[in-house]
Amino acid sequence: MLNHIRPKNVTELLEALDKQYYHVFAGGTDLMIRKRQWQGAERKFDKDIAFISHLDELNGIEETTDSYIIKTLVTQAEMTKSDILPEYLKTPFSQMANIAIRNIATVGGNVVNAATVGDSIPVLMALDAKLVLKNIYGERTLEIDEFIQGKYKTVKKDNEILEKIIIPKVEFDGYRYKKLGQRKAGILSKLSIFIVYKKDNDDLTDIRIAIGAVNEIPIRLKEEEKKLIETKDINRYLDKLSSAINSKDDNRSTKNYREQISKRLVRKYLEEIMQGGI
Amino acid sequence: MRNITFTLNGEKVTVETTLSRRLLDVIRIDLGLTGTKEGCGEGECGACQVYLDGKIVNSCLVPMSNVIGREVQTIEGFAKTKAYEKIEKAYIEEGAVQCGFCTPGMVMATNALLKDNAHPNSKEIKESLAGNICRCTGYQTIFKAVKKIADEEEK
Repeated sequence: MLNHIRPKNVTELLEALDKQYYHVFAGGTDLMIRKRQWQGAERKFDKDIAFISHLDELNGIEETTDSYIIKTLVTQAEMTKSDILPEYLKTPFSQMANIAIRNIATVGGNVVNAATVGDSIPVLMALDAKLVLKNIYGERTLEIDEFIQGKYKTVKKDNEILEKIIIPKVEFDGYRYKKLGQRKAGILSKLSIFIVYKKDNDDLTDIRIAIGAVNEIPIRLKEEEKKLIETKDINRYLDKLSSAINSKDDNRSTKNYREQISKRLVRKYLEEIMQGGI
Repeated sequence: MRNITFTLNGEKVTVETTLSRRLLDVIRIDLGLTGTKEGCGEGECGACQVYLDGKIVNSCLVPMSNVIGREVQTIEGFAKTKAYEKIEKAYIEEGAVQCGFCTPGMVMATNALLKDNAHPNSKEIKESLAGNICRCTGYQTIFKAVKKIADEEEK
């Protein structure tokens, strides 16, 4: 018999997680589907669950002088409608899933789930987001690329929760976001591209390029971004991108399609950005 | 099993069920409100859409733990409102209903759009109904019905 719990507060949740394994359940838009059964039947959960969606302590978007703070239970819809967040952060969330799903799916869930097709992950990687993990003994802060180790794999310990995401504030001069799938909405990405940049007159001073849903973990080539600023050599960047792609053919797309289209789109965006467009 | 209390169509209800049971099953099986349909069971088709604290959600993805103390409105509750009457009239006039299975969800999604945006353009209509699948109409009559309400609001 499974033992599902609904802790009264975060302390009670962390105490419970320290004693035994619970699958932490926020919006449930992934877990309810993975455990689906026939009509009318209970979902076939195979592990004890801790439901957390009612814990207001874990909800809300805040800003400090240098960061945006996204608590784990913020939904994708709340990201999209926020008065605090900049457009470059809202746009990708506005294209995830569909309206009804965005109303319940959480940002924390998308990150902790660490699916290859998690559309928030490349965006957060490009923005150098930090994650605060908490257990009953304290907390630790990790870079998002240290946190995600592979498809559905993270370094989160069983007694930890993702409490919040810290996104450094940067005044970018522009961004590009493109999500490609079989249809325009309510679809898993074949690939997604997120670029943010800063310019001083016509000179690029900062650029971050992240490509999601191609490899198991989104691709971000930090060294090559620096080289791109120094050399303005788009071809060199695209060659390095090609060698970084190790995607496989799967139900969503093929390696060849992903490689060709990622490169074409990145080239198009870089040419636009470097030729003085916004 | 435990007693779970929430508000359904304006009235407090208590059901004896589990935290992990789907809101959809409680609505249809325990409470006998069968206007809300089950289509895909995985959040793609929108046939099970209801309002949870006023926001449209797929009830097939919502466990009862996430409903405790909150307000749920189903198509049966929404059908008693003025907003529903306008949508019903436009759907009938434009022939936006064929087999009718997607219709409750489609109507809920239509209202979710119109209450925030009384004059949506075609793109906004399509985006708002992207989470609702209809296998009969080909969608054009549904888009026309929604556009008709939006245009009438403008007059």
